[in-house]
Amino acid sequence: MDYAGRVARADTFPKLLRLNANEQGSEVALREKNLGLWREFTWNDYQVRVRDFTLGLVEFGLGASDVIAIIGNNRPDWAAAEIAAHAIGAMSLGIYRDALDEEVSYLLTYSEAKLVFAEDEEQVDKLLGLADRIPHVRHIVYSDPRGMRKYDDARLIFADDLAAKGRARATREPDAYDKLVDATSGDVVAILCTTSGTTAQPKLAMLAAGRMLRHCATYLAFDPKGPADEYVSVLPLPWIMEQVYALGKGLLCRMKINFVEHADTMMSDFREIAPTFVLFAPRVWEAIAAGVRARIMDASVFKQWLFGIGMKVGLAALDRDRRSIIAERLLFHALRDRLGFTRLRSAATGGAALGPDTFRFFRVMGVPLRTLYGQTELLGAYTLHPADRVDPETTGVAMADDIQIRIDEPDANGVGEIVVKHPNMFLAYYKNAEASQADMRDGWLKSGDAGYFNKAGQLVVIDRINDLAATARGDRFSPQYLENKLKFSPFVAEAVVLGAGRDYLAAMICIRYSIISKWAEKNRISFTTYTDLASRPEVYALLRTEVEAVNATLPSAQRISKLLVLYKELDADDGELTRTRKVRRGVINEKYADIINGIYADRAQIPVDTVIRFQDGTTQRIRTTLAVVDLRRGPTTIQAEAAE
Amino acid sequence: MERALEVRAVSLRFGGIRALTDVSFTVHDGELFSIIGPNGAGKTSVVNCISGRYTPTEGRLLYRGRDIAGLKPNARAALGIGRTFQNLALFHHMSVLDNIMVGRHHLLKNNFITGPLYWLTPARSEELAHRRKVEEIIDFLDLQAVRKAAAGTLSYGLRKRVELARAMALEPKLILLDEPMAGMNFEEKEDMARYIVDLNEEFGMTVMMIEHDMGVVMDISHRVLVLDFGRKIAEGHPTAVLADPHVKRAYLGEEDEVLIDPDESLPRPVEIG
Repeated sequence: MDYAGRVARADTFPKLLRLNANEQGSEVALREKNLGLWREFTWNDYQVRVRDFTLGLVEFGLGASDVIAIIGNNRPDWAAAEIAAHAIGAMSLGIYRDALDEEVSYLLTYSEAKLVFAEDEEQVDKLLGLADRIPHVRHIVYSDPRGMRKYDDARLIFADDLAAKGRARATREPDAYDKLVDATSGDVVAILCTTSGTTAQPKLAMLAAGRMLRHCATYLAFDPKGPADEYVSVLPLPWIMEQVYALGKGLLCRMKINFVEHADTMMSDFREIAPTFVLFAPRVWEAIAAGVRARIMDASVFKQWLFGIGMKVGLAALDRDRRSIIAERLLFHALRDRLGFTRLRSAATGGAALGPDTFRFFRVMGVPLRTLYGQTELLGAYTLHPADRVDPETTGVAMADDIQIRIDEPDANGVGEIVVKHPNMFLAYYKNAEASQADMRDGWLKSGDAGYFNKAGQLVVIDRINDLAATARGDRFSPQYLENKLKFSPFVAEAVVLGAGRDYLAAMICIRYSIISKWAEKNRISFTTYTDLASRPEVYALLRTEVEAVNATLPSAQRISKLLVLYKELDADDGELTRTRKVRRGVINEKYADIINGIYADRAQIPVDTVIRFQDGTTQRIRTTLAVVDLRRGPTTIQAEAAE
Repeated sequence: MERALEVRAVSLRFGGIRALTDVSFTVHDGELFSIIGPNGAGKTSVVNCISGRYTPTEGRLLYRGRDIAGLKPNARAALGIGRTFQNLALFHHMSVLDNIMVGRHHLLKNNFITGPLYWLTPARSEELAHRRKVEEIIDFLDLQAVRKAAAGTLSYGLRKRVELARAMALEPKLILLDEPMAGMNFEEKEDMARYIVDLNEEFGMTVMMIEHDMGVVMDISHRVLVLDFGRKIAEGHPTAVLADPHVKRAYLGEEDEVLIDPDESLPRPVEIG
């Protein structure tokens, strides 16, 4: 398929949709599982929904340079709403569906969005709860009528009613939609894309449709896809990569986009579709691998033996760059089928490092896993492993020659800031010239990441430059790099490495409850709650060996000296993690200041008396004592604690 | 408001035991009506009289003006009275889907002769139509992820929900819920309360519910009936019922009742020396 040629013919989403509807109108474009059945939408159906929405928006008096926000689960209406917004020349703004009140009101007010597509009762409830904090919002469109009866708000309108208004206008003025589509331009801002904002309120990157599609064409040329490909849309649609896959690439190469029934049925729906491409965050890949290992622990002795043999033979073959037919027949084919990976021809991870063991686990299984790297401002991924040169330590090479990557101010080892420029990058930040100025230098974007090119010419990303820290002795280290190493253990869900400005490094660890609870059952360790399990001396002993194994691979200045297991999981709702599950160090340092000071005050026991607030508003008081294990001392301390 | 159910001077005796004595009340169409009372007050007996498991010794039961006291349970189900049970009564080895499908049994027209001729008779289209209804209920109660799981493998809270789904599958006009939240944790209770309110408001079902969790009852009920020792002691709006002195006595005991101090009942250490 000539991707670039298609963009030259149609450089906006609505134009490309029309092209597809005209040429392949009866072909399936989208599928959605609803009431237990996969329902298909052809390119014609897709375009009719977009046309009706578009003209409905026109009926409401919306037009060029207005902002239309979309919040909700990934659904066909989400995609249709975005294309409709572009068709009237407006800018679409996706908001994460689990965003809390503060974030939603900030984004809606900052962008002055006039209309919001809010999928269902949950989202509508959130918006109506904001009352006069969102003064610019004039209309709220919902697609799922369930539970909406109780609301009486003039701003509310059912999506089908909006579409009916549009349809009526289409009957009156048959060429109205075509005229609007003709008027769209690939050079103006179409998408406002939120940046992940590890530090402050999200910024809105302004993306032009033409650039977006040309970048998708570049990506597709590097990793080709076509109408025979299947994609399951489960990543959040406001995120740049899902914009690239579900909208940009979907429209450009006509791969089929599938929407799952429910968050809980994701894995079984995924298996039913058996997609040909998938991108998961490293933690999802890790959770899948951990899930397989947990189920094998529960399986019969014969199956455990089969798994052991299959992995051994498979890994031996992988080391010789081959695939073992025996292992394939015995194990991997069935395993891929169970996970819904039978038809995978391309798979990716990105955003953070993925453990080399997990990487190998999937490679040996026959999942062609690769790493990609990118930023919202640069339209998502721009580096990827070439299919024949996959190295888990790196993030691959630039996808095209016109993507220029430079390392600024390299140190003795070649490590410096990654600075990038390509012709399809973002225009600027929306209403924030100051930030645009700060992040750009002569057309180059400062990524803020530290990295270097290795001998094979592949880019290695270490960490955010600002997140590199130094101990009181002046030893530089990357907390995230160490945390990721710790998280490669199946028993560790989250880890926070401390030590900036201190004498030595320490780790606060959150146990992976699903695995450790199974492990505890198997070892006949009784426990009641998460907090109780986390405080068991046996769990401490287990984690100690895990941390010591990581320490063995590190130079002495980078080793973790003290270990503490936290009484609760870190949670994005508590502000401890970003929505993409990166650790927010400022919040953690403040929230756990007592514990952190306790660790460095050389206390062996730190009492905790705190209140946890749950999502439903209820609170629970937690009183416990956290033990601090000093890894520089022998394991006798554990015994003493166990006896208490 | 139309009267959905009238219970008139119903008494129920098992030999010498008087389970219910002269109980009368009315449930109106579209109401969310709760029955509360201490253990053994006769709450489940009322539900069993209405659903047809027990026959009242005296008194009349009118469903939309029609006397149903003499009808068998299946005939009452056909009239539009559905129920769930206090103790779960699911088919453990059947899937959630099939369990719910059972609820539509009385609506199926095909019998064991036409059923096997699946492709020749309307059995197929009938099954598809019923499956659609069942799927709507699955969607309503968020059971998508366990649709094909065996009912016996589910958590208690989920099984309760499947029971409700099966009762809903009957498409009743009046649904009797016997302790729908017993044994649930806080979160499950909150979900269940949400479903019951939606059942009442969205599906327009009249709900009669027995429940012990006073917080939930007072939150979502339109009217409440209080039973004690088989007799009605109060009926009305939740706040009015809570303030009723009879109810206070039934729940909190007589004011002059002597409470035992747990410390007093322990043997005291005796000083030697």
